[in-house]
Amino acid sequence: MTTLRIEQVSRTFPARHGNAPTRALEPTDLIIGNNDFVTILGPSGCGKSTLLRIVAGLDRPTSGRVTLDGREVTGPGADRGMVFQSYTLFPWLTVRENIAFGLRERGVPEGERNKVADAFIRQVGLSGFENHWPKQLSGGMQQRTAIARALANDPKILLLDEPFGALDNQTRALMQEMLLGIWERDQKTVLFVTHDIEEAIFLGSRVIVMSARPGRIKAEINVDLPHPRSYKIKTTPEFVQLKERLVEEIRTEALKVAEHA
Amino acid sequence: MIDHSDRLLMRPLDSVTSKQRVAYGLAFFVLFVALWSWATFGGHVSKTFLANPLTMVQEGYDLLAKQGFLFDIGMTIWRVVGGFALAAIIAVPLGVLMGAYKPVEAFLEPFVSFARYLPASAFIPLLILWAGIGELQKLLVIFIGSVFQVILMVAVTVGATRRDLVEAAYTLGASDRGIIRRVLLPSSAPEIAEILRLVLGWAWTYVIVAELIGSSSGIGHMITDSQALLNTGQIIFGIIVIGLIGLLSDFMFKAFNAWLFPWRLA
Repeated sequence: MTTLRIEQVSRTFPARHGNAPTRALEPTDLIIGNNDFVTILGPSGCGKSTLLRIVAGLDRPTSGRVTLDGREVTGPGADRGMVFQSYTLFPWLTVRENIAFGLRERGVPEGERNKVADAFIRQVGLSGFENHWPKQLSGGMQQRTAIARALANDPKILLLDEPFGALDNQTRALMQEMLLGIWERDQKTVLFVTHDIEEAIFLGSRVIVMSARPGRIKAEINVDLPHPRSYKIKTTPEFVQLKERLVEEIRTEALKVAEHA
Repeated sequence: MIDHSDRLLMRPLDSVTSKQRVAYGLAFFVLFVALWSWATFGGHVSKTFLANPLTMVQEGYDLLAKQGFLFDIGMTIWRVVGGFALAAIIAVPLGVLMGAYKPVEAFLEPFVSFARYLPASAFIPLLILWAGIGELQKLLVIFIGSVFQVILMVAVTVGATRRDLVEAAYTLGASDRGIIRRVLLPSSAPEIAEILRLVLGWAWTYVIVAELIGSSSGIGHMITDSQALLNTGQIIFGIIVIGLIGLLSDFMFKAFNAWLFPWRLA
């Protein structure tokens, strides 16, 4: 059983060059239960990535704390796998070696870690590319490898920071289905940050809407669409209704950002 | 599409074929020798100051066949490689440490930046005093000339490692040691190899200077001897040999790096 608790977590970036300190995140509470798929939706600059980086341990909260199964997060660790928006595969390692990176760091023998890596390569549909360098892969293939790399570590929770943000629409839709398929089959606790409304509904069991800077949770919406979901669900009345509601929520926030800019 | 039908000889940043590249490269050597021949055979420059290409080749043959010049070449190569290897063994780990750990950088960087500007050749009299005129002195000149340069450049390279790769490694459970061994080192390795290739080229200039003073062997020693005899043919032959060795070692270094880091070219 996995429980992630975010308790009164806030983040203020210190003043620089005489500017006032920036409040990126208001004190925020959020509880994510076992095998939950939570998507965080918000306009750019709403602190959603900051929140995710704090959960990952890559950034420290100014106040509050994050606990995973009762243990406070003080730094990054293998129990929280992360997929970044930028392509972060190690360019000097092949696809297989990239996916086995975490296992190797833990001292898993080569034969075993290759077996695990190959299983994940199949799962993300990259069979035949085991020995390719990241440079030889398309953006979508690189992100599939990054997801496999995070999953191969068997983390308690998977954190994704707009992982499909740089991909074209068609590739993005396929990647969403692939990720959802993995979740439906293997059950994982997932926290997924995005600014794409459709993506947030399609993937999530719960959508957390964040307000513009300083970021805080504005609304929480349950997505009661049945699983397994296929791309066809995106045109059902239920989906469209949810989308309309979220468009309104996000629009007011985006307008606030535009006015302040 | 850009219309190339009316193209001139070249356009900015336009590429050349590998055949053209070789042809252009050779053309300059031909032009160079032609100018040299014109100046010497044509009598525009006195023989005392500049030997003609043919004399140079004859003197070169004489040097190799009768005066044991191959031994001098061997000595010079050993000094360069020895002093340079010594510098690399110390400089690369230090540079990596400086790049990885900011306190180490803050501690060493000011001194290394200062020492980098000390001319290696100015140390020769001091080094002769300390180490005599033996091999150690020659190695030390190369060492002083290379070590600080390599330290600084390696530190900058390691310090510029992509942060997102480091963060990714941390979220995959890497320890601090793992970050250095499995992210900082492999990501900087090709750059470090390039730095070594570059500085090896500079080491060649130091070795000749070191051999000009207080030496009984080596290419630089031969050049000083030839100067006393006004044998410009031998001097030029010596210089050309250095150039050829440099070209060859550069080529080998490049090929070795390409073999070592295939992921860069993929």
